[in-house]
Amino acid sequence: MEMLNAKKVKQFVMDKAIFLVLLLLVVVIAIINPRILRLQVLRDILMMSSTKIIMALGMMFVILTGGVDLGGGRLVGMAAVISASMLQTADYVRRFYPDLGQVPVILPILLAVAVGTLFGMMNGLIVAKFKVPAFIATLSSMLIIYGINSIYFNMPPNNSQPIGGLRADFTFLGSGSVGFVPVIVVFAGIVSIIVWFVLNKTVFGKNVYAVGGNPEAAAVSGINITKTLVGLFGVCGFLISLSGVLEAARTGGATNNYGNGYELDAIASCVVGGVSTTGGVGTVSGVIAGVIIFSFINYGLTFIGVNPYWQNIIKGVIIVSAVSFDIRKYVQKK
Amino acid sequence: MYVLEMDHVSKSFPGVKALDDVTLKVRPGTVHALMGENGAGKSTLMKCLFGLYSMDEGQISFNGQPVNINSVKEALALGISMIHQELHLIPYRSVMENIWLGRYPRIGGSKSPVVDHKTMYEMTASLLKELNLNTIQPTDLLRTLSVSKAQSVEIAKAVSYESKIIIMDEPSSSLTENEVEHLFTIIRSLKARGVAIIYISHKMEEILKISDEVTIMRDGKYVGTWPANELTTATIIKRMVGRDLTHRFPSGESTIGGELLRIEQYTSPNPRSFKDVSLTLHKGEILGIGGLVGAQRTEVMEAVFGLRLHSQGKLFVNGKEVVCNNAYDAKRLGMALLTEERRATGIFPVLSVQENLVIANINAYRNKNGLLNAAKMAADTKKSIKELDIKTPSARTLIKSLSGGNQQKVLFARWLLTVPDILILDEPTRGIDVGAKFEIYVIMRELAAQGKGVIMISSEMPELLGMTDRIVVMSEGRVAGVVASKETNQEAIMELATKYVG
Amino acid sequence: MKKITAVVCLALALATPMFAQGQSDSKAIEIGCAIYKFDDTFMTGVRNAIVAAAAETDAKVEVVDSMNIQATQNEKVDLFITKGMKAMQINPVDRTAAGVIIDKAKKANIPVVFFNREPLAEDMAKWDKIYYVGARAEESGTMSGQIIADYWKANKSMDKNGDGVLQYVMLKGEPGHQDAELRTEYSIKNLQDNGIKVQKLAEDTGMWDRVKGQEKMAAFIASQGDKIEAVFANNDDMALGAIEALKAAGYFKDGKFMPVVGVDATAPALQALEEGTLLGTVLNDAVNQGRATFMLSYDLARGIKPTSDSIGYKITDGKYVWVPYQKVTKENYKQFK
Repeated sequence: MEMLNAKKVKQFVMDKAIFLVLLLLVVVIAIINPRILRLQVLRDILMMSSTKIIMALGMMFVILTGGVDLGGGRLVGMAAVISASMLQTADYVRRFYPDLGQVPVILPILLAVAVGTLFGMMNGLIVAKFKVPAFIATLSSMLIIYGINSIYFNMPPNNSQPIGGLRADFTFLGSGSVGFVPVIVVFAGIVSIIVWFVLNKTVFGKNVYAVGGNPEAAAVSGINITKTLVGLFGVCGFLISLSGVLEAARTGGATNNYGNGYELDAIASCVVGGVSTTGGVGTVSGVIAGVIIFSFINYGLTFIGVNPYWQNIIKGVIIVSAVSFDIRKYVQKK
Repeated sequence: MYVLEMDHVSKSFPGVKALDDVTLKVRPGTVHALMGENGAGKSTLMKCLFGLYSMDEGQISFNGQPVNINSVKEALALGISMIHQELHLIPYRSVMENIWLGRYPRIGGSKSPVVDHKTMYEMTASLLKELNLNTIQPTDLLRTLSVSKAQSVEIAKAVSYESKIIIMDEPSSSLTENEVEHLFTIIRSLKARGVAIIYISHKMEEILKISDEVTIMRDGKYVGTWPANELTTATIIKRMVGRDLTHRFPSGESTIGGELLRIEQYTSPNPRSFKDVSLTLHKGEILGIGGLVGAQRTEVMEAVFGLRLHSQGKLFVNGKEVVCNNAYDAKRLGMALLTEERRATGIFPVLSVQENLVIANINAYRNKNGLLNAAKMAADTKKSIKELDIKTPSARTLIKSLSGGNQQKVLFARWLLTVPDILILDEPTRGIDVGAKFEIYVIMRELAAQGKGVIMISSEMPELLGMTDRIVVMSEGRVAGVVASKETNQEAIMELATKYVG
Repeated sequence: MKKITAVVCLALALATPMFAQGQSDSKAIEIGCAIYKFDDTFMTGVRNAIVAAAAETDAKVEVVDSMNIQATQNEKVDLFITKGMKAMQINPVDRTAAGVIIDKAKKANIPVVFFNREPLAEDMAKWDKIYYVGARAEESGTMSGQIIADYWKANKSMDKNGDGVLQYVMLKGEPGHQDAELRTEYSIKNLQDNGIKVQKLAEDTGMWDRVKGQEKMAAFIASQGDKIEAVFANNDDMALGAIEALKAAGYFKDGKFMPVVGVDATAPALQALEEGTLLGTVLNDAVNQGRATFMLSYDLARGIKPTSDSIGYKITDGKYVWVPYQKVTKENYKQFK
């Protein structure tokens, strides 16, 4: 009986390792500075996490098939620049398009997201048709997207100046609130629910898991692998560019360097949230937890004034220990 | 009359005629056993039927209609399913999703994007109920199920395709006795629904118990088809192996010396693997290890070599007890292992012959600066190529472009460079043409003559009988008996090999 | 086959504008310019100023991206030498690596103007055809400190807790970066030189990045609350990020104000000055740095010994051109737009 309990406790610790790490962090930080336990902090962290959750959910689709999207960060930058360049206030001096009228806020957003979706689908097509590993295909698109975005960003009269003076109806999406609840958090919530529905309730979602879990079995069962891959990379591009648009709205500006390196954060969040890099395993709730843990680490370490060099070391240790605990659920010695 | 007729089927691979004018006729609602030694062509025949291979010659008729099967999809659409030894399932998904994979019921018509979970659940539940699979829930995750239950899910999936023929390839190989009984219950209920089962197994008693008809193959040829009730274990074995020793073996007498290697009571932590295995190898001896596929011969030898865990057992080299936990230890103890899967665990396909040759002995080429002595490596490579008569354009040729026999010789040479005392050879002549086989036999004889000990795992009876001094026959992970090669015959070995089977 | 042809055609069509910047016509005086990395906002301004200045002359400037890798920059320098450039403009990735570049240039007898990142003095002394154009980084720190010092003296209400000590938070650029270290050090030194007592509440790196600046500031606000009396940022991007975080915490409305200073005077920063959210910034004069760099190298490329008169900027110690920073506040921002 005692043995059984010990085993159960061990199992519980293994299953929930990531949450225990988070809890431990909260406790340690709260001892150092109890102000961390206020509602404002929760709100800050949720706001910080919102765009990252949307991006990581996009990334999850690709990781579910055992790949990664290395171009994700640059796509964030492109979507941010495209949407911001067309949504500046009329009286702002250095406008990207000096003569552009007041366009409906939705149009540039749709444009940015459409471009992102297209890039995603192209990645999917290359992976499916030419059997290029996702790692390589998206490494190339990372360079291409950044190059195109930089050319656009350097167009006269902008000449690579940061894009500012964004319209209030646009920035409201990123930094506005309805009561105490930030709009951007609502966005992230709605996107999460939709992604959950797509993954769990639709044929497409199940095909994504099937193609990721055992491509041979999926092919034998008559699933169209190409269509599924193009679709899921498209969804990835859609969500990542949406997060880019919201990132511009949240910070009230954009440059071509926005999003640089975000793909690695997104991948790390997914992995910490239990998405298996070998494919086929991962949940929306896990990814959300992964992102929030990351945001909390970032926020919490600054909160108690940890030296930036040490912050990197601590983050690295947390990632590798959380994941090595987590991975033991899946790995067994022969 | 017949649901399936395969007439005059032939299929060649480079250098091998895998199927030579084979016939298989299966009646609806029956269990048709397909038997033969390893390499007799059973799997090849089934892969032709399931659309994985194309036939060179022959005709397949399904329900009396001639058909062409070019892909797995077409086979499934016709009503032919196959339960593989390695299951085709998605581990982290539920039972119902695995069964209806690619064919999910949808809410509001077949074009709708939304899966109808309720209907899928109900369809799965009633399917499982029909097959009396009461212990499986539609929502269970596949990876939480036992092998037996996962197999049942595959069968349920085959039934859901409304298959008329279900091919079962060694379905009982990883099942316990009770589970096999349960499998038979399912098979009987499938028979009652008019489904034909093609059952491939080595287990005589199982075959006699469950099958209606038995087709026997040998060396890619059709031997005959008989009603099961006219057969006995003895007659099946005779018809499976019934041939003369056509292969030639190098002559030579072994001079058996003192004890070289002894293992005592090796037992695997996995209860389905080997148990209480003891054997002794002498200097100058060639010791055969025989048994059916799945008898855990490879597993025991890998455990001796330190690649697998053993929970119990002792190892003695030259009479001294030693510990061997990994291949590095094994090498130090003078052991060498040629693995069964030459491609997967033997050769480095994109490296050259020389690099493949020296890799196990690479430390010996380091000079005092830590650099590799290229001249010495080249000299040893040249010497090995000459001694073993390896046919390669040059030492820099990539090994993948060599024939199987020459690849095997390179692997031999690789281990010989480490100057081992004990060579463990796992199916050393599999997939190698007759001429190269003979050359490998010659090498084995020479090594034995030098006083080394050789252990050979083989599924080829003639090879075992012709090459070895003694044969350890394993059955279901245990040693069924040790026989002197000169005083035994194929039937006796087959009898031992099936001793614990069933 | 058709497909391949189509792809090749498309690639060629797309590639045509690729050469627009680098293509040289044979008669022009060719000058090679290596920027440490292209996606640095300020350096893009300098780059554009160089190209604009060249357009007024018969010189062609070939601008390349060193991608923040010193090895890449050295390869580009080799390329310039091979192509027979008449002069080079180098914005070093690593200031200590300039010595190697100088050796190469001296051997090939091609004059070099370094800009924005100052080589070590002993390297500068290696050859007489080596020049440097830049700003004194400590000056930008001093000026941003001065903006806060002026505000502190003029507004007693800035000392929220009335203890006579200025409590501040610092958003640093990349740790170890010369500008980041000097701006941080000299902004605070200036306050102390003005006789103001200071207390650092928190300091962290925003890596020059607006998003990170915003997130770090949010954490500062949560942990320090109303204790913060001023925000220093090593550049405008981080300052603007911090302003977004302050806005989210209820600042800049209903009379709740927080003095925030940045450096660079970017367009969005000037906008923030106009809106009254940014207290001040310091202009690192990209236009004049770019222009001075070009004018120096243009003379050198033509074999003329540059003088203060010939280039229009004052040359100090025979080889340095110091382009001053400028304080930018609500009073004077309009002239920088």
